[in-house]
Amino acid sequence: MKICCLVKEVPDAAVQKRIDAGTKRLDRSGERTLNPFDTHGIEAAMQIREGGAVAVDEIVAVTMGPDTAVRALHKSVALGADRSLHLSDPALSGSDVCATGYALAKALETEQPDLVLLGQQSDDGECYTIGAVVADHLKMPSLTQVIKMDVSEGKLVCQRQAEYGYDTVEIALPAVISVGDAINEPRYPSLKAIMGAKKKPLDTKGTGDVGIDPSQVGEAGSKTQVLGINPPPPKQSGEIIEDEDTNETVEKIVAWLEERKLI
Amino acid sequence: MSNATEQTGPVINLIASLEESMLREAVGGIAGEYGPKYMLACADAGEPPVELWDALAEKGYCGVNLPESYGGGGLGMTGLAAVQEELALAGCTQLLLVVSPAIAGSILVSRGSEAQRDQWLPGLAAGTTRIAFAVTESDAGTNTHNLATRARQNAAGGWEISGQKTFISGVEHATHILVVARQELADGTLGLPLLFIIDVNATGLQRDLIPMALRLPDKQWTLFLDGVEVGEERLVGGTEGGMGALFEGLNPERIMAAAGSCGAADRALRTASSYARERKVWRTPIGAHQALAHPLAEAKIELEMARLMTRKASALYDAGYKGAGEASNMAKWAAAEAAVHAVDRAIQTHGGNGLALEYGLTDMWWGARLNKIAPVSREMILNYVAEHSLGLPKSY
Ligand SMILES: Cc1cc2nc3c(=O)[nH]c(=O)nc-3n(C[C@H](O)[C@H](O)[C@H](O)COP(=O)(O)OP(=O)(O)OC[C@H]3O[C@@H](n4cnc5c(N)ncnc54)[C@H](O)[C@@H]3O)c2cc1C
Repeated sequence: MKICCLVKEVPDAAVQKRIDAGTKRLDRSGERTLNPFDTHGIEAAMQIREGGAVAVDEIVAVTMGPDTAVRALHKSVALGADRSLHLSDPALSGSDVCATGYALAKALETEQPDLVLLGQQSDDGECYTIGAVVADHLKMPSLTQVIKMDVSEGKLVCQRQAEYGYDTVEIALPAVISVGDAINEPRYPSLKAIMGAKKKPLDTKGTGDVGIDPSQVGEAGSKTQVLGINPPPPKQSGEIIEDEDTNETVEKIVAWLEERKLI
Repeated sequence: MSNATEQTGPVINLIASLEESMLREAVGGIAGEYGPKYMLACADAGEPPVELWDALAEKGYCGVNLPESYGGGGLGMTGLAAVQEELALAGCTQLLLVVSPAIAGSILVSRGSEAQRDQWLPGLAAGTTRIAFAVTESDAGTNTHNLATRARQNAAGGWEISGQKTFISGVEHATHILVVARQELADGTLGLPLLFIIDVNATGLQRDLIPMALRLPDKQWTLFLDGVEVGEERLVGGTEGGMGALFEGLNPERIMAAAGSCGAADRALRTASSYARERKVWRTPIGAHQALAHPLAEAKIELEMARLMTRKASALYDAGYKGAGEASNMAKWAAAEAAVHAVDRAIQTHGGNGLALEYGLTDMWWGARLNKIAPVSREMILNYVAEHSLGLPKSY
């Protein structure tokens, strides 16, 4: 089995997020790191390999991004991937979610993975949708917000977090699975893995190498356009239940929770 | 720049490499799972921090400075200092990291015989061999020329060591101790210092716990050596090179002390700032009062200067440059002062809570204060700088 892990380089969580007023895009200058949600995808791949239910021949980290995104790949390799693929081309700059998903799918086609894993969201864009777009282009089934995965020959049984509880879904491989952070606790890399990361194979490919139609990517190839950016409206204040009579208070809380099917 | 050596000389990396960032993140993450709560629980139970040490060791973080050929990380003191700084920042400083890989490891790398390097370095790198360091004696104090622990060579070529050491850290978690003793000459007088590796449970070695204000799991001990016997293969640096070998351990020790102080200062300032941003007793958060804000800002500047000097000291040491001694002393001094100021201001910022055990600042206080005394006191550093950097006459 070959597993490809999609990873993304994002601004470090400690950096205050800022929208560039000129480009109306997220200002991605400053400290950057590997999207923490993607580390759960890599860990999930490692656990499949270690679980032994199927033989995993290779775990490949795949990213699309500028030169600096190499750091995210090195980190992915330190966390367990065997090698990495960097899709990098000035033509890709400014791609929206659909264009990015298309480009990643083209890169993945060259790898022919049995399973594509990715974090359910990125720490910067927080779109939650790349997995589905990639799957659509690859004509593979897809699941999102997966928090448990049992793999066997040719299929996966997944538990996904739904609005009110969990869905258990069987899905045929090859498939694209975006994982929630509850799926596992990513391990810390060993010093050896960190020091060896730069020695693992890394392929850099441009749009032409993977058959990307240039008119489908970049700012011009993107179907969405950002017209304006506004801060989110202030949160409405929550419902405050005064505790006058404890029994009554408990009833009110229970009713509130039941109404939302939380209990 | 006049020649090629100068142009390619040691480089101080102002921005952490990817490897260093990942190392810091991993060590900080591992330590974060334990934290000061774990350290206090160990201290109160009288147990060494075995689980944390093993978690670090398993991933290779206890031998970061040692050569890769012996299973270490090959990152020099720059790497090991980063480990200690992150541990201190997480409230999990490891004294054994100072004595085992930094002091004993560095001495063995530069002065150990090939057989000794083969025997000791793989275990030190893996963290399974842990060597405490015993130089201090109650009657000698800072004056190592007055050491009275003696080593007498027996007919078989081995040695018998007798004497007393004090304030020796981490013996309870160590597997061995690197002991400094002086050679007993034929006429019974004492000659040059010699370095021996003895087993922690050697016959003739006893230890007494010294009750200390520090609530650290790593304890301090008085050691009584009564004819402890070792084979000649346990003598490091030979009969002539003990002093040189001892000096090899001093700069790494100072760099580690500096790194620990930097991490502690950072922790104190983060704690203080977050408290000062939230706590409000008048109209504004207390952090808006410059009487609190400015001293914290001053402490932050001191910390960053100490960090820079620690990086310089590590870079010079790793490159084998002569200036490493001066820089290590200065880094140790600056970092210890910065940590004491930072913790003091953090306590002040917390008002009464500064003394409440719950906030952990009193525990940090003794740790910060320690580094103005050990491993080398601030006075001895100032003596060094006055004499060696400024050419002033020696006072003692
Ligand atoms: C928590 C802790 C852990 C320790 N761990 C270890 C360990 O693992 N191994 C080990 O070998 N030792 C260890 N030590 C001992 C430590 O290295 C010594 O305490 C330190 O070197 C100072 O020696 P001293 O206590 O004998 O002070 P003294 O030498 O008695 O000095 C007392 C004071 O006089 C000052 N002074 C002395 N001479 C001069 C001078 N010429 N000019 C100006 N001022 C002077 C000193 O600076 C100091 O302020 C530890 C100590 C502590 C507190």
